[in-house]
Amino acid sequence: MPNSDTDPAEGPLEGLRVLEIGDLGEVAGKLLADAGADVIRVEPPGGGRSRHVGPFVDDDPGQPSLLHASRNTSKRAVTLDVTQPGGIEIWQRLVGLVDVVIDATTPTFLDDLSGGWQWAEAQSDLSDCVWCSIAPFGRTGPRRDWAVNDLVQLALGGPMMSNGYDDHDLPPIRPDGEHSIAMSNEYAVSGLLAALWMRNAGHTGQLVDVSIHESISATTEGAFPNWEYFGRLVQRQTGRHSSPDPTAPWQYLAADGEYVCLINGGLPRGGSAWSGLVDWMDEHDAADDLRDAQYQELLFRDPRSNPEGRLHVAETIGAFVQSLPADEVYRRSQALHFAWGIVRRPEENLDDPHWADRGFFWEGELPGVEQPVRYPGAPYRFTRSPVRLRRRPPLLGEHNYEVYVGELGLSSAELRGLLELGVV
Amino acid sequence: MCVALEACAYAVTTMPSDLPLPLDGVRVTDFSWIVAGPQATRILADLGADVVKVENESYLDSMRIGLRQDPENPSLNRSGFHSNLSRNKRSITANLFHPKGREAVERLLAVSDVVIENYSAGAFGRMGFSWERLQEINPSLIYVSVSGFGHVGRDASYGTWGPSAQAVSGATAMSGLPDQPPAGWGFSYLDHSAGYYASIAVLMALHHRARTGEAQHVDMSQIETGMAVSAVPMLDYQVNGRSYERIGNRSRYPAVAPHNTYPCAGDDRWIAIAVDDEAQWASLCGVLGLDALCDDPRFADMASRKDHEDELDEVIGAVTLERDPFDLMIALQEVGVPAGVCQRTDDKQERDPQLAERGFYPTAPHEELGEHRFEGLPMQFSNARWRLDRGAPLFGEHNHAVMTELLGYDEEEFASMVSELAI
Repeated sequence: MPNSDTDPAEGPLEGLRVLEIGDLGEVAGKLLADAGADVIRVEPPGGGRSRHVGPFVDDDPGQPSLLHASRNTSKRAVTLDVTQPGGIEIWQRLVGLVDVVIDATTPTFLDDLSGGWQWAEAQSDLSDCVWCSIAPFGRTGPRRDWAVNDLVQLALGGPMMSNGYDDHDLPPIRPDGEHSIAMSNEYAVSGLLAALWMRNAGHTGQLVDVSIHESISATTEGAFPNWEYFGRLVQRQTGRHSSPDPTAPWQYLAADGEYVCLINGGLPRGGSAWSGLVDWMDEHDAADDLRDAQYQELLFRDPRSNPEGRLHVAETIGAFVQSLPADEVYRRSQALHFAWGIVRRPEENLDDPHWADRGFFWEGELPGVEQPVRYPGAPYRFTRSPVRLRRRPPLLGEHNYEVYVGELGLSSAELRGLLELGVV
Repeated sequence: MCVALEACAYAVTTMPSDLPLPLDGVRVTDFSWIVAGPQATRILADLGADVVKVENESYLDSMRIGLRQDPENPSLNRSGFHSNLSRNKRSITANLFHPKGREAVERLLAVSDVVIENYSAGAFGRMGFSWERLQEINPSLIYVSVSGFGHVGRDASYGTWGPSAQAVSGATAMSGLPDQPPAGWGFSYLDHSAGYYASIAVLMALHHRARTGEAQHVDMSQIETGMAVSAVPMLDYQVNGRSYERIGNRSRYPAVAPHNTYPCAGDDRWIAIAVDDEAQWASLCGVLGLDALCDDPRFADMASRKDHEDELDEVIGAVTLERDPFDLMIALQEVGVPAGVCQRTDDKQERDPQLAERGFYPTAPHEELGEHRFEGLPMQFSNARWRLDRGAPLFGEHNHAVMTELLGYDEEEFASMVSELAI
């Protein structure tokens, strides 16, 4: 594999030092850590939220969490209870070691303890610090302190009203996978890297205040211009784009019980693709009357022309793909330059050789599991400075000694004292 | 706490213009189109990069004709969808089949930090811009390509649009009710996320170049952006042998209930409610007037509620159906229960006091579309700003400025390029 544990090449963020605290910024920390930054995740002595959310190895809550594993590759981990006496002083000293703080606690938590952005801003020796806050609604505004979780955020931010079924007795749908964290953390990384770029150009460090609600609100594609420019609301539809007006189906159940996704209902975008499709349908005696000139003509004119004719074409193609196995629909349509897809469960990608060719999966250790596992990697292949698995997800407090004694300069006795008092 | 629901008075852009832009001085040659690439360069342009969109009718960004104000008008400048994606950018038109048009693009690449495109794998090379050629033109140029499957790998020639990328990645299968087909995403989510990751890739590559002097090609796959956020089921399959099963709006991990969407009064109105502990459960029962539920042994604790989730959701849904979704949300938030209306776009743009106060929908002018609101960048800086100076550029609007001020052509040369249709 090009991206493997043993590859010595440095990542694009080599040399960057990062502290990460709170439960909503783990993905941002991971993106930086896999890219070569030294990211230290700071957790309370009982562990951060993700360590307590399943699934767990062997479904045993005493074993490592796979949610935690998925978000904490390449990081180091220390424990610290900043609310205990002496805890915030340790935190303040840790801040002095780094370029970037990812603060995904609640917006006032660290400031109330004199260890937040307001404190850092007042320290002359921290003027280079980039402080990236990630919070459900950002650090200001009337709803700043509202109680939310991923479901509530995806409801408020808008995507759910675009996701669901043709039947509106069925609810709007939240896709599984805590996408509120993904969207906001992806934005946060761009924001903090831009602030670092500016700092490296001679400016001071600063606060980057990322709102999860706004990150989601910016992630709804056509819903925004439909309202802003036409006063139209999009309506959710089964397995395809939401739209102000109903459109033909895109998703079909293939003959083997798997689903396929036919972009634009299967209608081709060009003449050569069209003849290839009809030839393929002819092999199965399924082309019906599609060679009729009227269909040739309608496909390549204005997409609003002849809606009945277009619907007939879509329905004929739909009936055809339902007669074949899904993988055949997928591979053959792609060979004909249709960008159709097969609906895979996520784990079905593990054995697709294409991803192995790209080195997408990173083989590495997962505590509690005997065999190495394949971690989903990064969606970008850096050809000179690989983004890769640098170390397995850390155990709780695994790097306490290394960081507190080796880098912060505490004595072993001091660290033992903090442990006994429950500070770390 | 402000809980007013009447139409919010929207603040116009108030970002102080004397603050610096983080990416001031960074130049991006932008060959991107549709949504994924333009989403990336939208972030970079908002942050202050000089993004020069290279366009031509032979490889037209179809967003220019998507959702047009009046489809009968042949203007390429009348799509609000495009304007929202390409605000703050500049536009030149370059005819790559004309030697002078090609030379102009090469001059632009020579003074750029980054070039980005999201054509099918191989297409940019066939246009004459292989990685080898790009390095000849400008050895410090960073090249970010965004394609469905990436430029390397067995199926690199396959194409995707957002929904088919979502299908292959697993994102479609992870969305929907357990006894229904996949609902998927009702928009090209992976166009957004490919753009988010491409923006990150540009910034990381810039940091690497600043440290080492080394430019590079970053090869991105849109499907991988979906796989990267589907890691938990992939690990669960390997470690516990479990295949992914859809869960609708419920929560499998952590195993909490109630956690769902419930119908409300009004046309297709829904509220999301997510209870995380016993105190929230008691508060929810109080607000819904269902105090007796707290004493019902079926719902006595989290585990028993989870065991009786169908009945639980039915009882709650029968009550919420009579309630106004916004009033109910506020009543629940006042007692600390996580709850949110499934907001429509008009709710967000016209009635969301949080987005209003943070100035998330600032306005900017556009020559043909007029003054409109735009989606903001979801962050604020203490010592910098992001910008919303103007909507998308008119087609070729900056030909003169870019050719004469940036690329060193004189007026005579510019005039001949125009008359020869090189630009």
